[in-house]
Amino acid sequence: MTHVAGVDVGSTATKAVLLDGNGKIVGTGICPTGANVVRAAERVFSEACKTAGVEEYDVAYVIGTGYGRYKVPFGHAQVTEISCHAKGANALFPATRTIVDIGGQDTKAIKVSPNGDVLDFCMNDKCAAGTGRFLEAAATVLDLGLDAIGDVSLRSTAPLKITNVCTVFVESEIVSHLAKGEKVEDILGGVHNAIAGRSVALLRRVGIEDEVTFTGGVSRNAGMVHALAARLNTRINVNPMSQFVGALGAAMFSLERVRHGTAPPIAEPKENAANAHGGH
Amino acid sequence: MSENLVSQDAAKDLQKEMLGRYYGALSAAKETKTPVAYLFIPGNVVEITSAYGFLPVYPEINALQCGIKKVAGDLILAAEDKGYSSDVCGYVKNDIGLMLKDRQHPMGQIPKPDLLVCNYSGCNTFIKWFEALAEFYGAELFLLDIPYVRGDGVSPEDVDYVVAQLRELSAVCERISGVPSDPGRLRDLLARSRAAEDLWAKILELARSRPSPFDSYFEAVFYMAPINILRGTEDCVTYYQALLEEMERRVEERVGPVPEEKFRVIFEGPPPWPHFRAFWELFKKWGVTAVASTYSKVGGLYDQGIRHDPARPLRSIAEYTINCYTNWNWPMRSDLVKRYVDHYGADALVIHSVKSCRSFSVGQADLRERFIHELGVPTLMVESDLADPRYFQEAQLRNRIDAFFESLEHQRLVNA
Repeated sequence: MTHVAGVDVGSTATKAVLLDGNGKIVGTGICPTGANVVRAAERVFSEACKTAGVEEYDVAYVIGTGYGRYKVPFGHAQVTEISCHAKGANALFPATRTIVDIGGQDTKAIKVSPNGDVLDFCMNDKCAAGTGRFLEAAATVLDLGLDAIGDVSLRSTAPLKITNVCTVFVESEIVSHLAKGEKVEDILGGVHNAIAGRSVALLRRVGIEDEVTFTGGVSRNAGMVHALAARLNTRINVNPMSQFVGALGAAMFSLERVRHGTAPPIAEPKENAANAHGGH
Repeated sequence: MSENLVSQDAAKDLQKEMLGRYYGALSAAKETKTPVAYLFIPGNVVEITSAYGFLPVYPEINALQCGIKKVAGDLILAAEDKGYSSDVCGYVKNDIGLMLKDRQHPMGQIPKPDLLVCNYSGCNTFIKWFEALAEFYGAELFLLDIPYVRGDGVSPEDVDYVVAQLRELSAVCERISGVPSDPGRLRDLLARSRAAEDLWAKILELARSRPSPFDSYFEAVFYMAPINILRGTEDCVTYYQALLEEMERRVEERVGPVPEEKFRVIFEGPPPWPHFRAFWELFKKWGVTAVASTYSKVGGLYDQGIRHDPARPLRSIAEYTINCYTNWNWPMRSDLVKRYVDHYGADALVIHSVKSCRSFSVGQADLRERFIHELGVPTLMVESDLADPRYFQEAQLRNRIDAFFESLEHQRLVNA
C-alpha cells in the first residue's frame, strides 16, 4: 500500500504525519526544530515511519510545510502552512469555518470554505506578542514548565490585567506583579487573557464564523483553550492531534497529488522560474 | 529566455543617461552658481521654481536611491545616533544621515539648498523634515498650506487659496534668484509638463492589454522617475515618447514582464526599496503582474485627468498640488483602487504597508476590509518598510505571498 507524508518545520517544533493509502493516520513524529532544520525534518520523518512500521522508501510523496518547508530535503513539493492548516482542520472537524493557529512565533487566523479551502487569512506582524513565545517568556520568569502554566492559569479567580503587549517587556511586568505579592495563577490568568485578546482581534479581521478550530502547539494548553472560548463566547474545537494539523494537511495534499496522478490540486511553481527578465 | 519575455529595454538606458545628466548638474551647481530649491515629489510646484532658474533637488528621490544602492541602513543609523526615533519615517532619517555625511550620495554630491519649498500634500512629516533641513543649512523655508481634500472634491476657494500662496512663492523665488518673473517661461515649462503627462497617461493605459506590456508597480516605479524628477524639461517629453513606442511594440508582440501572466493585481503602497528585487521575485514566481498601482501616482494622478495647463498656469498648478494621491481622503482613494480593479481587470489587490509611513498606511486596514468583505476582491496585506532594511523579513513575506497565491490558484482549479 502506498504511503504519503507531510512534514511541518515550524519555528519551535518540527512535526511529521504519515498516512496510508486510505488517508488514515498511521504514524507521527515530533521534535524541537533547533538550529539544524534539515536534521529535524529527517528525524521526525523517520520517527513517523518507525511508529507505523513503514520503510522510508515506501513513502510515495512528501510535502514540506512551515517556515522550513524548503529545507525538507526529501520533500517533493512545498505548500504553505496556511493552506495545510486549513486542510488538516477540515479533516479533523469538517464543519470548521474559522481556524486560530497559535504556534511558536506566529498566530494565524484563517477563514475556510466548507471544503477546507482558504478564503482569507491574517497573521501577526513582526512581533511575537500573542504567540507561544509570549507564554514561554511568562513560564520562564515564573520558573514553571511550559506544559504546566495552562493548568495553573485555570485556578485563577481574579486574573490580572497584563498591559504589556511586548514579549520582552512582559517579563518585567510579571516581576513587578510578583514583587507586589500577586498570585501566580492570577498573573497567568492575565497572560492567557492577553494572548486570547490579541488572537481574537486577529480573528475579527477575517470574520468569526462557527465552528472555530484551534490548532498549533499552543492548542495543547488548556488555559489558552479556556481563555479563547471565554473571549469568543463559543465552543472551540481542539484535538489531541491539534499540534500536528499542519503536517496532517501537508500529508493530505500529498495523498491528493498521488491520487490525481499528474494533476496536483495545487501547482507549485518552481523557485526562480520567472527570473529571466533582466530589465533592471 | 522564454519568447514572450521582454529582452531589451531601451527606455531604461535612456533614463539612466538623463538622470546621470541631472545628477551631474546637481554636483556642478555650486560651480555654476545655479540656485537650488529642495522640493517634495507629491504635488510639487517645480514649474514655479524652475521658471526662476532653480535646480530642483528631491530628498525623497535621494532617499529611495540610497535604498536601492543599499546605503540607506548606515544613513538611518547615523540619524538615530542623533536622536531620531526608530518610528520616524525612513526617508527622513536617510536624508538627515545624508546631511550629516556631507551630502555624499551614491549618484554624486547633492548641493545645499538656497530655498526649501514644502507643500506637504497628504504628509505632515514633510513639515518637520524641511524645518530640520532649513535650520541645519540656514536656508529659507517656504511652507505652502495645501487644503486636504474633504468631502466630494476640490472647491474653487481651495484653488484660490493655493493660487494666492503661489504668487507669494513667486516673489520669494524672484528675490532669492534675482531672476525677474517671466510668464512666457512658466508657460513653456507647463506645456512640456503637460506633453509628458499626456504620454505617461497613455502608457499607463496600455496595462489593460493581456498580457500587460509592463509591470505597473515594479517597473512603473522606474518609468515614473523622469516625470517626477525632470518634469518641465525637454528630456522628460523625449523620454515618454520613447517609452510609449517601446510599450506599444510590446503590446503588439504580446510580451510582458513574466513568462506567463497568471494573476493581474493592483498594488497599494510604496515598495521596499532596499529589497526591491527580492520583493519582486516573491511575486514573479507566481506569474503576478501589477496592472495598476497607487504608488506610481504619487507624482501626479495624470491617469485621472489631472494636468498642468499653460493656458491656466497658477490654477492648474494649484489643482495639481491639491489633487495629490495622499492628499485625497480615504473614500476617494478607496474608490480609485476599486476603479483600477475594474478598469484593468485585476484578480486581486496587494497592499504593501510601510511601517514608517503613516500618510500611506493609515486606512489600509479599512481598505482591506472593504475589498474583501464588501467588494469580494481577494486582498493580501504585507508589511515592511520603504527605506529601513531592518523591517524586511523575507521568510514572513514569502509565507504570506505564497499562501495567498496558492489559495487563489487552488480556487481557480476548483472553480474550473
